[in-house]
Amino acid sequence: MIDITPLLVKAAWVTVDISARALFFGFFIAAALVVMRTARLPPLRWLARAYISVVRGTPYFVQLLLVFYGGPAIGLRLDPFTCGVVVGAFNIGAYMSEAMRGAIESVESGQNEASRSLGFGRLATLRYIILPQAAGLMIRSIGVLAIILVKNSSLVSIISVVELTYQAQRLIGSTYKPLEVFTLSALMYIVIIYAVMGMVEFLYRRATRYTFR
Amino acid sequence: MTQTTDTPMVELKGVKKRFGDLEVLKGIDLRVDRGKIISIIGPSGSGKSTLLRSINNLEVIDEGQILLDGVQVNRPDLKGMAFERHINHIRQNMGMVFQHFNLFPHMSTLDNVTLAPRKLKGMETKSARELGMELLERVGLADKAQAYPSSLSGGQKQRVAIARALAMRPKVMLFDEATSALDPELVEEVNQVMKGLAEEHMTMLIVTHEMGFARDVSDWAMFMDGGVVVEANTPEHLFSHPDQERTQHFLRKHLGAQA
Amino acid sequence: MEFDFTPVIDYFPTLLKGVGVTLLIGLAVALLSILGGQLVAVISLYTRKVVNWPLRFFIWLFMTTPLLLQLYFLYFGLGELILIPAIVVGILGLGFHYMAYNADIFMATIRSVSSGQYEASRSLGFGHLRTLLYIILPQAFYRALPQLSNNMIIMVKDIAVLSAIGIGELVYVSQYAISITFRPFEFYITIAVIYYLINLMMEAGQSWIERRAAYRR
Repeated sequence: MIDITPLLVKAAWVTVDISARALFFGFFIAAALVVMRTARLPPLRWLARAYISVVRGTPYFVQLLLVFYGGPAIGLRLDPFTCGVVVGAFNIGAYMSEAMRGAIESVESGQNEASRSLGFGRLATLRYIILPQAAGLMIRSIGVLAIILVKNSSLVSIISVVELTYQAQRLIGSTYKPLEVFTLSALMYIVIIYAVMGMVEFLYRRATRYTFR
Repeated sequence: MTQTTDTPMVELKGVKKRFGDLEVLKGIDLRVDRGKIISIIGPSGSGKSTLLRSINNLEVIDEGQILLDGVQVNRPDLKGMAFERHINHIRQNMGMVFQHFNLFPHMSTLDNVTLAPRKLKGMETKSARELGMELLERVGLADKAQAYPSSLSGGQKQRVAIARALAMRPKVMLFDEATSALDPELVEEVNQVMKGLAEEHMTMLIVTHEMGFARDVSDWAMFMDGGVVVEANTPEHLFSHPDQERTQHFLRKHLGAQA
Repeated sequence: MEFDFTPVIDYFPTLLKGVGVTLLIGLAVALLSILGGQLVAVISLYTRKVVNWPLRFFIWLFMTTPLLLQLYFLYFGLGELILIPAIVVGILGLGFHYMAYNADIFMATIRSVSSGQYEASRSLGFGHLRTLLYIILPQAFYRALPQLSNNMIIMVKDIAVLSAIGIGELVYVSQYAISITFRPFEFYITIAVIYYLINLMMEAGQSWIERRAAYRR
């Protein structure tokens, strides 16, 4: 009889690690996409839109398999963990850019006009006027995506990253105690997800401290 | 049971209703003979809507008796499914028209009207359709039979709601501020339909803010305030020279505003 | 770098079969999760705590854990107790997962139907159950449609995950072809394209349904 708890805790940490990295890089990818979508050059806008449409229109699971197993054919060789982070980041980036755009568009147009009429430029308006007002909604939508990211990270078990779901599956196979293993691993996912929700709520409160709620 | 023409169509005896500590109906007695039209006026919070809703058992009264054509509506002795069966049967004999129409948005106008006869009386689709068209004709909306409520104006919605209530051939019609949510220019088309019903001697209880309409159409008018009937009389008397100071005060405010 | 799509063309009939299985699973899961979701929502809203508490727990549990973990549990856990074919496990697993999400939506839209609708139906003489069936649920359904169809679009993409428990849908049959032809890139690109096309069609279907349902709200 092996003790399953330490093994699962260790694996849960890999889940957190891979999700956090993907979220971090995904944020910058999303920001780049948002900027590209407002670019003056039409091809840049089209590229961003096509990218978002394709990523959102195909399964994350297939994206993962394509990059991991198909990547070497185009000279892209990634170890499983890195592959999980990269694909996760590029995937969530597409969704996040839509969330950011939605939040920015939720700020009423009068704010933009007022700021521009004062002489602020496009970027300065975004920085000082729009983003502070969009931040609350943006944080909440990114929070929802972060939770999806954590749940999606279970799929990297297919390319044999030893994260929580991979470990759970292996332990179900070796201990024949599916209920115990499932309960424990589910509990860990729940803890991770509630921690994310807690952080999101904290950041939301900070971001909307001075604005109307 | 045997009902003579003397049996009042609607009768309330000592009706009391509380919301928590607040008593909104403090013992109401009322007798509505068949074919008569009663208007109930009063400030908001006077209990007039609660009174009307109690007759339909949408509010459950705490004390007293409500009778429809000699049959008791509120039955504290009946519990659970027995009361359900009883009240569903009773309600089929009453048509209720709401301030906010409450048309079913997922059904065409015609289906709104024919739903109850089809499902509750087991009426065949074809005859239900004929009945529905006849009623829509009567409220002047036959051309809107296939339209959905979202495409109708407020006045049209309320006329459909009246047709829907009429489809069960009710003994009495209850109007709960039927024109209060309407734009002023749409009030008249609904009033016309109600006047048409009055000419056909439909028994009606009308809770309204429209003093002029109440005066024109009703046989008896009641002024309610603070959960009691302050004054009840013929509309000529009540609106022209009310006996009570509270009634005078209320009418001065409202008729003044209307004039 | 050179690409060779001839193996993909050779195996195209196999891929099509995989697409067929994917779509059939999608249909079964959509039916199960929408009808079941409605039932779960009604029971959780209208019954006593003893009955609805386990259901609400079920909704919460399925929404806070990953699909793949749920599938493994059903496949390896339930599979130990009774012999059920993988495809049934897959449909049930995906079905329960989305049933939870759909139930969550239905609970919100059922609550959002105004009390006036309930009163109007009751005043015509309809009882609780018929009011629910004729008036409340249809309206809740129309209101749920946008989110419901979103969920179904996401669900179809999740069918790919079922390959992990050996169900012969598109990804699984391709993996078989890849194991023989050693052309992962070409096959996975093809799968992505097929999924993208399915997704486009579903989005078109979604806006068609939306337009038809809009005036019934």
